[in-house]
Amino acid sequence: MPAKTKAHRIGLFVCHCGLNIAGTVDIPQVLDAFKDAPAVLVALDYKYMCSEPGQELIRRKIAEEKLDGIVVAACSPTMHEATFRRNAESAGLNPYRVEIANIREQVSWVHAKDPDAATRKAIEVIRTIIEKVRYDEELLPFTLPVVRRALVIGGGIAGIQAALDIAEAGFPVLLVEREAQLGGRMAQLSGTYLNFESAGDLLAQKLDALRARPEITVLTESEVESLNGYVGNFTVRIRRRGEDQVQEASVGAIVVATGFDLYPMKQLPEYGAGAVPDVISGLEMEALLRPDGPTGGRVLRPSDGRPPKEVVFVQCAGSRDPEHAMPYCSKICCMYTAKQARLFCRQSPDGQAYVFYIDIRSGGKGAEEFVQAAMEEERVLYLRGKVSKIFRDGDKVIVWGADTLSGQQVEIAADLVVLATAVVPRADARDLAQRLRVGTDAHGFFNEAHPKLRPVESLTAGIYLAGAAQGPKDIPETLSQASAAAAKVLSLFSRHELVQEPTIAWVDPELCSACQLCVPACPYEARRPHPWKPLVTVNAALCQGCGACATVCPNKASKLRNYTPEQVLAMVDVLFAPAKAQEGA
Amino acid sequence: MMTRHTGAPNPHALIIGAGIAGMQAALDIANSGYEVTLVEKLPSIGGHMAQLSETFPTLDCAQCILTPRTVEVGHHPNIHLITYAEVEDIQGEVGHFRARIRRRAAGVNWDICTGCGVCIEKCPTRVESDFDMGLGRRKAIYTLSPQAVPNKPIIDKARCRFFTQGKCRVCEKFCPTGAIAYDQEDALFEIEAGAVILATGYDLYDVTRLGEYGAGQVPDVISGLAFERLLSASGPTAGKIRRPSDGREPKEVVFVQCAGSRDPEKAMPYCSTICCMYTAKHAMLYRHRVPNGQAYVFYIDIRTAGRRYEEFLQRAVEEDRVLYLRGKVSKIFRDGDKVVVWGADTLSGQQVEIAADMVVLATAIVPRPETRRLAELLGIDVDAHGFLQEVNPNLEPVSTRRPGVFIAGAAVGPRDIPETVAQASAAAAKVLALFARWQAVPEVVHAGEN
Repeated sequence: MPAKTKAHRIGLFVCHCGLNIAGTVDIPQVLDAFKDAPAVLVALDYKYMCSEPGQELIRRKIAEEKLDGIVVAACSPTMHEATFRRNAESAGLNPYRVEIANIREQVSWVHAKDPDAATRKAIEVIRTIIEKVRYDEELLPFTLPVVRRALVIGGGIAGIQAALDIAEAGFPVLLVEREAQLGGRMAQLSGTYLNFESAGDLLAQKLDALRARPEITVLTESEVESLNGYVGNFTVRIRRRGEDQVQEASVGAIVVATGFDLYPMKQLPEYGAGAVPDVISGLEMEALLRPDGPTGGRVLRPSDGRPPKEVVFVQCAGSRDPEHAMPYCSKICCMYTAKQARLFCRQSPDGQAYVFYIDIRSGGKGAEEFVQAAMEEERVLYLRGKVSKIFRDGDKVIVWGADTLSGQQVEIAADLVVLATAVVPRADARDLAQRLRVGTDAHGFFNEAHPKLRPVESLTAGIYLAGAAQGPKDIPETLSQASAAAAKVLSLFSRHELVQEPTIAWVDPELCSACQLCVPACPYEARRPHPWKPLVTVNAALCQGCGACATVCPNKASKLRNYTPEQVLAMVDVLFAPAKAQEGA
Repeated sequence: MMTRHTGAPNPHALIIGAGIAGMQAALDIANSGYEVTLVEKLPSIGGHMAQLSETFPTLDCAQCILTPRTVEVGHHPNIHLITYAEVEDIQGEVGHFRARIRRRAAGVNWDICTGCGVCIEKCPTRVESDFDMGLGRRKAIYTLSPQAVPNKPIIDKARCRFFTQGKCRVCEKFCPTGAIAYDQEDALFEIEAGAVILATGYDLYDVTRLGEYGAGQVPDVISGLAFERLLSASGPTAGKIRRPSDGREPKEVVFVQCAGSRDPEKAMPYCSTICCMYTAKHAMLYRHRVPNGQAYVFYIDIRTAGRRYEEFLQRAVEEDRVLYLRGKVSKIFRDGDKVVVWGADTLSGQQVEIAADMVVLATAIVPRPETRRLAELLGIDVDAHGFLQEVNPNLEPVSTRRPGVFIAGAAVGPRDIPETVAQASAAAAKVLALFARWQAVPEVVHAGEN
């Protein structure tokens, strides 16, 4: 059982975070404020507390001063709480007696213009957190078994790759695809850029590999209806289209690889999209270029089936347009436009391709050279400027645009116009995100846990992201991300059990009146009335420690470990009566 | 070479390069219960990311997000870290590679050094710091940064008074544990590994080869990486923007993109991918630090493709009033205490002359020479420039033509941090799948969560 003794030998460690904190908060003044504070034995600072010397300092002080609780005043606990808890544990301190006082995101960054107020606030934040530590129990984590089977949602190239990598390590995979066929967008493409490899052939290689893996179960025409549980122990319900029957499966990890849609053509009326038959999207052009497509790979205009002589490609159709459409860059269009223009010119030597662009974005190995070759070998004419209007005139499609380099207005009487429409999230991405309890951005792309260092993890443990569902990306990047998501799954599956945080809710049987208000309040379905006793019980495996139960409980019987009402009130007390609390020393 | 092996394949990974790519791959493999030997050329890990100030597009400080990783790598029970070392030879094949690793003599016995730093404090010799891109100074006995992992110093024998003049020995006198070992010799290790990941990173195009940009002659013309050090809170100016020539705060700064990139005639033909974003970040951070300063950016195309990147660029233009000029710079030269930039503005069709206080060149990303050497040792391909070659760039972005040898990060081609991290984890997945086939599911030692 957790120790009930209050911490009375507390160490305070204040981090400068380079200039991030020390540039605004007066660190010596902060340390001075705790020089004589009750129960605070040491108050020290360091340039980067998270660095090895900083951690070493903490470990040494824990040993030397026999500290039974520490407060690290630094960045947000989402950054380094785990680091500091691990470090303290290695020095023999219970990790749940380590608390973070956030004086960066909540102090120095938001009060950069008022250093005095920031310093005062830092002191107050630290004072309340010290009070919290005094009441913290020495908790022990517990373990839960891991179901070593993965669910992959989406059978495009991202989902296929993730399933393959997981299966190759010997773990079973459930691959759920909404359509009747696997392959996703890649099945709609003609070829890849850089080397014009056939997308169909590349996909076929992956599908062959997939079929050879007995560990992979493919469910087509199926969708994830609901998800319950937690990392290592999810329960997923999958519905097959047209069937009433719902299949339930236990999985330990999930890879979301639901891909992308294109910005709807009908929302680009000024480009004649949807109204003029010879104005098509980039994906429709892929169909015309695909050897197994409707025209056998010949570019023929939809209106009259004739081969076009002059083709205008319009980039950023719906991208980089914060006023009317999407503010972001769709990333893949510059390269696929160059590829399409080159393929068209190769099959129509007397044809002419024009590309309207804002910036040509051909970053990465071989990409710049590929676009240069389009200009030099296929004589594709690049025009820097936006297109203002596209309309039909007889059997021509007229394109009005600007050439910002010559400062001229340009009019091209084209036979075919290809719009590189923006990459957007799937229309139902937000719904799915809600069902999975993972976040999306304002557009509906799934949010990664950290944009730099955790690009394939969602903020929900056990759910990983791959491919364009997370943001526009090309095939190699999608494949890397899919394999990366698989690595996270494999790492999770390498353990038979998972350590669960003990900072969860419990019910004091002395106080519970079995009113059951907490049962519907719990978003994780972690609460059940006791079968015969007049009280409610907590499923520790499902509880995420959110505290919703504690706020609805009228008797204060529902409590969060290390966030008890007494603890919070004590924190509030020192916050509003700091002078009094200090006199108490 | 055809060596036959009868023993079981060895589920142990050798990773060469401990920048963010090598560290990520090492952590993914080690957290799955397998052992990793991680070899780094420099005395401490972290690679280029350790030199960066803030990262785009969130402006998270690089140290803040990097140190948890370096600390985790440094403490991980499954990761054997060998820094200040190079792989000299690799033999064998998938499942049975044997590598010879030479750790250079640091002049310090790291087994008994506590990292207290007294030697560094007392050392009387100050020299230019490579880590600070020549803008700051360090001692002749030094660590790369105060956050170095491992936090153990090395002696720069070319600059140390004892090694060059035969007397001094100050560090030895003050070292409380007797760890200074002037006569230390290189150490050789032989390790066996079932799979290898190459993550050797990148260099920057040598600025001194950009003579028309005054690089190397005009002190106030610096590289983007040098500007990172000026911006860094732990850098030579503690994050204050000071120009190298006279230490004054520059009021007009010109950023020149594509310095050595997209220039098939004179330098590298390819786009270096990361410069547009880091230049936008540089200009933005400069304006935050010097609110009455003006930042100009010369560009050919602005390439901010990536999640939240375009929006970041718009912030730089709209909120921070960075002036973007579309055109190439033809010449940069010194005139009194100004640095004069001649460029074209292709949108107005005008020639532009800016009398700047400082110029920052976004120099091209180039492969490291040792990447080619290691590729030859391993029998894998590099492209015409020396970047590692994927077996199929479209379908197998982290595999090479040699089974069991995988690649990740900027050694494969210019890329930013998230793409590098994803690729490193992807390489780890390939290794994990191999290892899993060689043995029953492993027992696991965990240092941390992932």
